[in-house]
Amino acid sequence: MGKVLAILLSWLLLPTMAWAGHHTFHSGQGRTLKDLLETIAPGDTVLVHGEVREGTITIRKPVTLIAADGAMIDGEGEGDVLVVRADDVTIRGFRIRGTRISHMDDLAAISVQECRRITIADNHIEESFFAIHLNGAHDAVIEGNRVAGRPGSEESMANGIHLWKSSRATIRNNHVMHHRDGIYLEFVSDARITDNTVLHCERYGLHFMFSHGNLYAHNHFEDNGAGVAVMYSRDIHMRQNRFLANRGASAYGLLLKDINDGTIENNTFMDNTTGILVDGCNRLRFEDNLFRLNGWALRMYASSMHCDLEGNVFSGNTFDVSTNGSLAYNRMEGNYWDRYTGYDLDRDGHGDVPHRPLGFFTLLVERMPYALVFSRSLFVSLLDRAERLVPSLTPEDLKDDRPLMRPNPTAGHGGAGEHAGDPPENEDNKGPNAVAALFSPFRETSLAHG
Amino acid sequence: MLKVFKYTLLDLTRNRFVLGYALLMLVIAQGLFMLEDDPFKALLSLVQVVMALVPLIALVFTVVYMYDIQEFTQLLAVQPIARRAILGGQLLAMAAALLLAQAVGLGLPLLVHLPSKASFILSVSGSGLVLVFAALGALIALRQREKARGVGIALVVWLLLVIVYDALLMWGMFAFSDYPIEPFVVPVAGLNPIDLARIMVMLEIDLAAMMGYSGAIYRNFFGSTMGMVAAAAIMLMWVVVPTWSGFRAFRRKDL
Repeated sequence: MGKVLAILLSWLLLPTMAWAGHHTFHSGQGRTLKDLLETIAPGDTVLVHGEVREGTITIRKPVTLIAADGAMIDGEGEGDVLVVRADDVTIRGFRIRGTRISHMDDLAAISVQECRRITIADNHIEESFFAIHLNGAHDAVIEGNRVAGRPGSEESMANGIHLWKSSRATIRNNHVMHHRDGIYLEFVSDARITDNTVLHCERYGLHFMFSHGNLYAHNHFEDNGAGVAVMYSRDIHMRQNRFLANRGASAYGLLLKDINDGTIENNTFMDNTTGILVDGCNRLRFEDNLFRLNGWALRMYASSMHCDLEGNVFSGNTFDVSTNGSLAYNRMEGNYWDRYTGYDLDRDGHGDVPHRPLGFFTLLVERMPYALVFSRSLFVSLLDRAERLVPSLTPEDLKDDRPLMRPNPTAGHGGAGEHAGDPPENEDNKGPNAVAALFSPFRETSLAHG
Repeated sequence: MLKVFKYTLLDLTRNRFVLGYALLMLVIAQGLFMLEDDPFKALLSLVQVVMALVPLIALVFTVVYMYDIQEFTQLLAVQPIARRAILGGQLLAMAAALLLAQAVGLGLPLLVHLPSKASFILSVSGSGLVLVFAALGALIALRQREKARGVGIALVVWLLLVIVYDALLMWGMFAFSDYPIEPFVVPVAGLNPIDLARIMVMLEIDLAAMMGYSGAIYRNFFGSTMGMVAAAAIMLMWVVVPTWSGFRAFRRKDL
């Protein structure tokens, strides 16, 4: 707690320190920005006017760079554009462009190397290789940036926002398009990723590798190569995100590979070939998610154990649940299945007979993918119904004993149908209570690990 | 031919069966849209209804009606009218009546509740099915003198196409699963008009699943312009061949 207070205090004090010295820089008036940065004192602020074309600019002091209207920094293809090597640097409001594409170095529009408390806000980063690259940066804040890469092939693209060995980063309200991975995190812990929109990325919208104890919430991922991938990580909390229109043979809304102890709550999965693929995951909680109009809502490989599914809504999917084994070590209870045909005599809101989400047809397609041609044919629905009544091929234990009779109204983001296709307004769900509720469990986990 | 068409159509507008069909479809479609909160889910249920019910009704109705108007046909045949014109007018009138009934019973609710591409494709494939099974029904009625037997044959034909065909195909898939039969499954399924209509609708509705590995195969086949043309050609064959065969039977028939 003391640590948190210290950070908060330093944030409060930072602006007063920063206004210690105030400089204005006009490009094309003799002096270069590089010279100015050499001469000013730590804690000074520079207001930049005009277009700066000085190749790679390295910042070695804690300064604040603020863009005046229309200020731009162009790296002219030299390498990185801005390199930050000092703590407490703020870069705000610039248009930044002109990185070189390299297959040897990770060149970025803003490259942050081994420092603390960096703020990168409200910048417009265009057609860069990496847009924002953090290497060993702690307590960084990346917010309100618009990052648009150059549409093209994966070889000439890099990640939009890239974090490597960083902790306690805040990434919020950013808008990322046309990169390889929209947001990429490797060896990153305790990050909060909220209210971002990631569209049209070649690979994943958001990609975790070996990153523990992170939270992402209220993000919107649409039409990326393969949605969001969370791999080899533990304690990841995923809430109220939207995963839309990730289509293709190996495209998923959310890919979970070797994840332990995570929560997936109130997310919306719509129009994906596979909503969630769960591979080798343990102790995950899937609660109150909405799966609508997906090909496969949930594919859970038999390598996953002790996962809980509760309060989820499955509606209009071609297949609700699919697996390659018996799936007996996971629990499903109190979900809503639109295919459920049972009754509720005691009127407690839960069906009195179990629902078996894994139909005969699901198994058939698992064995012979081309059997998909029989989808929704009369013969197949008869067989499916018979199999549900008297399971002979499907695993006996795979069932929901208390299926909901009506869809859970709190499932998903709420109103996913109306919003389909357009990016979310970042203003929704931002009431103080919503934010507090959002972060409180996250605090618990991060404290538990600290 | 136009006169025959006109009077048969006038007779059909008073036919309780046609009105009943329109009303039944209307009740089913409207009921589904009102029961389900999600119009898209209602559409999914409607697909199954259309794929099973529309062929049955079109088939049975045409068979029964052809027997019912036999005396009128005989009356027409003694007039100086070509037999071709008599049958042509009657067939057109039946097709028009059924399509009209379907437009009211199925098209209208779809248009009101879910005006989308999927609804449009469902309407078009449903209309295709009406034409195919009306043609088949007429053929059965013309080739078979006894009404009861004709209706029986119609039911068998319906059962064959709606269930047995799929069952046999699936059995074949299992039996030959060791062989590379993948490229053949979709075209063979597409030979059945009901399966073809269903696949066309599925390509729109289950699009997300279709984009998966296996789906790509028949998305490539039917999703392309070439595939659309092929699908339309198969549908057309199912209309033209029975109709042509019916005309032949009618020309030689001893009324």
